[in-house]
Amino acid sequence: MAETVTISIDGQSYQVPKGANLVDAAKLHGTDIPVFCYHPKMKPVGMCRMCLVELGSVTVNRESGKPDLDEHGQPVIRWQPKLQTACTQTVSEGMAIRTSTAKVVEARDDILEFILTSHPLDCPICDKGGECPLQNLTMAYGPGESQFLYDDKQHLAKHVPLGELIYLDRERCIQCARCTRFCDEVVGDDVLAFHERGRKLQIVTVSDPPFDTKFSGNTTDICPVGALTTADFRFGARPWELSEVPSICPHCPVGCNISASTRLDRDSGGKKVIKRIMPRQNEQVNEIWICDKGRFGHHHSLSSNRLQTPMLKKDGAWVEIDWKTAYQEVTSRLQKYGEKVGFLAGPSLSNEDLWEMRKLARRTCRDCQIGLWPATMTGLEAVTQAGVGVGTHLAALGPESAILVIASDFEEEAPIWWLQVKQAADRGAKVMVANARPTKLDQYAKCVVRYEYGEAVEVLNHIAVFARRHDKLNQTLVEGRVDGFAELEADLKGKRVPKQHSEAAELLLDTENLVIFAGNEGLTLAQQAELMQAAANLLILTGHVARPNNGLVAVWPGANMQGALDLGFSAEATVSLLDNPPSMWVIGDADPVAEDARAAAVLDQAEFVVVSTQFMTPTAEQADLVLPVLSFAEREGTFTNAMRRVQRFYMAQTPLEGALSAWKVFAQIGSALPGGDKPRISAALVMRDIAQHVVRYAGMNYTDLAHVETQFPDVGGHDLYYGGNAYANHGGLGIQWATNAEKENYRLTVRPVSAEAPKYEDLTLIPIRLLYNRDVLFEPSTVMHARIPAPYADFNAKDAAQLGIIDGDQVVISAGDLQINVSARVNGQAPTGFVLLPIRLSQLPVPAAPAMCSVQKVEE
Amino acid sequence: MLAEKYPERVAKIFSKYPDKRSGVMALLYLAQEEYGWISDEALSEVAALCEIDPTQVKSIAGFYTMYSEKPKGKYWLQVCTDLPCALRGADEFYKGLCDYLGVKDGGTTEDGLFTVEQVMCLAACDHAPMMQCNFHYHENFDLEKAKTLVDRLRAESAQKQPSSEK
Amino acid sequence: MNLVRGFATTFKHILEGPVTVQYPEQERPLRERFKGKHALKRYDNGLEKCIGCSLCAAACPADAIWVEAAENTDEERYSPGERYAKTYEINMLRCIFCGYCEDACPTEAIVLEHEFRLSFNDRRDAIYTKDKLIDPLPAGVEGTPRQTEPGVYTRSIPDMKNPD
Repeated sequence: MAETVTISIDGQSYQVPKGANLVDAAKLHGTDIPVFCYHPKMKPVGMCRMCLVELGSVTVNRESGKPDLDEHGQPVIRWQPKLQTACTQTVSEGMAIRTSTAKVVEARDDILEFILTSHPLDCPICDKGGECPLQNLTMAYGPGESQFLYDDKQHLAKHVPLGELIYLDRERCIQCARCTRFCDEVVGDDVLAFHERGRKLQIVTVSDPPFDTKFSGNTTDICPVGALTTADFRFGARPWELSEVPSICPHCPVGCNISASTRLDRDSGGKKVIKRIMPRQNEQVNEIWICDKGRFGHHHSLSSNRLQTPMLKKDGAWVEIDWKTAYQEVTSRLQKYGEKVGFLAGPSLSNEDLWEMRKLARRTCRDCQIGLWPATMTGLEAVTQAGVGVGTHLAALGPESAILVIASDFEEEAPIWWLQVKQAADRGAKVMVANARPTKLDQYAKCVVRYEYGEAVEVLNHIAVFARRHDKLNQTLVEGRVDGFAELEADLKGKRVPKQHSEAAELLLDTENLVIFAGNEGLTLAQQAELMQAAANLLILTGHVARPNNGLVAVWPGANMQGALDLGFSAEATVSLLDNPPSMWVIGDADPVAEDARAAAVLDQAEFVVVSTQFMTPTAEQADLVLPVLSFAEREGTFTNAMRRVQRFYMAQTPLEGALSAWKVFAQIGSALPGGDKPRISAALVMRDIAQHVVRYAGMNYTDLAHVETQFPDVGGHDLYYGGNAYANHGGLGIQWATNAEKENYRLTVRPVSAEAPKYEDLTLIPIRLLYNRDVLFEPSTVMHARIPAPYADFNAKDAAQLGIIDGDQVVISAGDLQINVSARVNGQAPTGFVLLPIRLSQLPVPAAPAMCSVQKVEE
Repeated sequence: MLAEKYPERVAKIFSKYPDKRSGVMALLYLAQEEYGWISDEALSEVAALCEIDPTQVKSIAGFYTMYSEKPKGKYWLQVCTDLPCALRGADEFYKGLCDYLGVKDGGTTEDGLFTVEQVMCLAACDHAPMMQCNFHYHENFDLEKAKTLVDRLRAESAQKQPSSEK
Repeated sequence: MNLVRGFATTFKHILEGPVTVQYPEQERPLRERFKGKHALKRYDNGLEKCIGCSLCAAACPADAIWVEAAENTDEERYSPGERYAKTYEINMLRCIFCGYCEDACPTEAIVLEHEFRLSFNDRRDAIYTKDKLIDPLPAGVEGTPRQTEPGVYTRSIPDMKNPD
């Protein structure tokens, strides 16, 4: 708490943070001021009038400048004649409120009576019933009976779909505008609005598709009544029947903290299943928001297509075998192939899985390659040196901060960061977007830099040149701890900086904080590595490291890519595996066959392929042995998010019979190899091994990872008005590992980076990532299918005209040996000469890196 | 399409405001003038012109009583039934008017001449009850005066004379 | 003297008949408010009263009731309104026949009736499922689920009336 002011609540004096909202400040000291429309994450509007309090201030004697005192020596308080809404007040010195006088009690009672005039009494069938602020506050403060006539109640539509994910019950709405304000203020998608006036006021959406935002589910959380409910959960259970299990979203690098609401389920044979996913408060990760992919993308865990027994391919047919045989099969093969075994880990294996896989690899042979899939991003070294400082808090960034997002379609790749960066921009943070094509973040950016695909590195180099020329380098750091500066300086010297880049540099380097988010759009693996180094160079030279809210974040293409890199897996190893294919492959939860034609061909040539997987993916189909493993919801483990925060997830769902945790499988296989030890009995013990052997994770253990501190604003507490207990974080806030820059005794290295970009002359295909795709973990969530586009490619209008195609045409794109059937879109997204092709919109592979292509229109 | 049909008027509207979204109300007027009411297509058209989401345009069209989101009759009778008017008998007045025209709340007469509806405050509380006919105020009104007006307008239309609306 | 008074009581009762009855040949009439096996009630039109709100399960001190709800559609309607009980089970071994479920029910769907002869050979048989609990259909009406006119059964809970 920095600066504080003294306010008096019900006669008691308290110190509260200066500038805080009165409702929040009172709550901090245990005084509840009930609210409906106010929400600590949004601006106050004072619409519901529930927070009325008596407000006064200390009168100050003009001559002495001291408060007037009464006969008892107490300061005289001048009370305002009418009640005031607490939510629209900011605390100030000498402010006094009374929250429990007869006047206030009566006012609350009256407001509730008004709010309830047309509210239906269908709490028994309402999904919110049991965690409903209106219900709670009515019980606590409301009138026992109403003076209004039942006949005058408005009867409105109770089942209005707002898109296919959210249902609106018009009768229940109390017009607090939390949902419309969320869409407008927080997300910036103006797709919900009020229609009509007075009693007829209703929420409407006419966007196409309706309620077109990636964050729609959050409106159901903040709705203080049951007016907005999700189609997915609808009538799934009553809130008091659910038990909340802390978990981590397995879909993207943000690592949102989620809470799995679970209940026993008759249809699933009495198993404990996930009924819904709710956000869990972690102010430094996802605050209290999650995207719709995280909220509705949990169905893979309960899919009937999950594999339940190990299977061996014999003469082209699958034979079910038991685990013991499966272990023996793998062990004997590992011994047979020895040096010629390659390991490949997928993007959502837990740290424990990865550790046991790595141990298995080391036991198999001294230098077995351990690759990472997808092999599109790298740059652990850059992150280790210049990653964002521990304690980085995007939700607190303001005018003193700059954020650069480069080579990433941020909303599609990391939705919650997009949300936080967008809000930071609203607060005045200087956001700069550098990409070859327009993205949604552009409209919030102070500065947009366009470059030709492949030239991303150049942009960062130019900013570094600008920094050097304009004396923006942090000399103390550079002279004291940085190696390789001379070479870098020589490389940067004499470079001409285009005006656009120098303007951008001026904007970025003029601030106290700088965070760089680096993606890989339009970059090959080698270029992406250079981009990461260029970003690290810039951050180190300008001293934007080793402090919170400063540093580099990679927008990895998976939930635990950071963990995999930390534990020694790398995309470079994957490339080397593909270049010199081993005879035997051990693949953990990755699907290279569906994503990459070359990998498919290489795996086809291999003598023996073992895949641990939840589903019969194309890779599994091509394999010789499949091992069924558990989903993120069925076991314990940890993920490391792209801000290097190691976070625990817990067992939410009864494990699928027959399947095992991947780490257990690898440990069992390893235990039979020479020098093998007994498998650990729990994930916690595997983490202990990791902490002992991996420097970055030193000192981490499950107890500390589960540590929780009080967070501000407090929305997950026992108050009656923010609704639901799922926000409460009982699973831990996680621990970020410190970068080298943060460790005083480490030296930092910069080096010149090659900004060489191939000149793309022919039509070039650029793979892009979409949030909603047909990824194996997302596809089973049928509720989201309407939002997954059919396979398409974006064409520039010029190219389209040349090729003779128009928006909506079916085309065949040929790239290398691949023939890809998609529909064409011509909507100004693609730069001239490039075709944007989203990956994973079908189960057929598309190129993973920029590739030459030709396009043919399919005649009908 | 408005932009094609009235390029000058659209350009003039936009020239008055610092950003495009501010032109939404003036454009809605134009759309209503052109199409007679604000259809969903008109909403989308205005939204595209102002570069905002159609939901926001719908919200504005719904908030202000001078925009109609339903096809309406030649004469558009709006009666304020908010509290001050209600205290001066606006409810009875409105009911009487509906009965006289033989329509329900918000309905249009069969000959397509009159549409009646209740609206929120029209800022003439001091002369309640009041009625608005095609944006012209009739204050200190009562049912008899209203009937006379309706009869006169009906007669005028029957003679196919251009209406004076007064 | 006390001895005589004591024996007088004894002898007086010798002459009275026995109070026990020969159950099961003879049965004693049950009191009106006797609480026996539960029944899930139907409206006169045959729709189920139960809306799957789970309040009975919440009220149950013995945790004997298990409810899972699902959504009605006009094509497949079980009960009025949006919600019905997909699964409704009472574990009769756990039930203590306190009647709290009856008190908690917002639609008077669950009623403890007079049947008390509950016997089972297997613990699993003690779990009474919805088909064992639900009342038979009134004569001449269609069963559930059934197809209904859209917009007719929109409300789960009957509207409240103004107090007179």
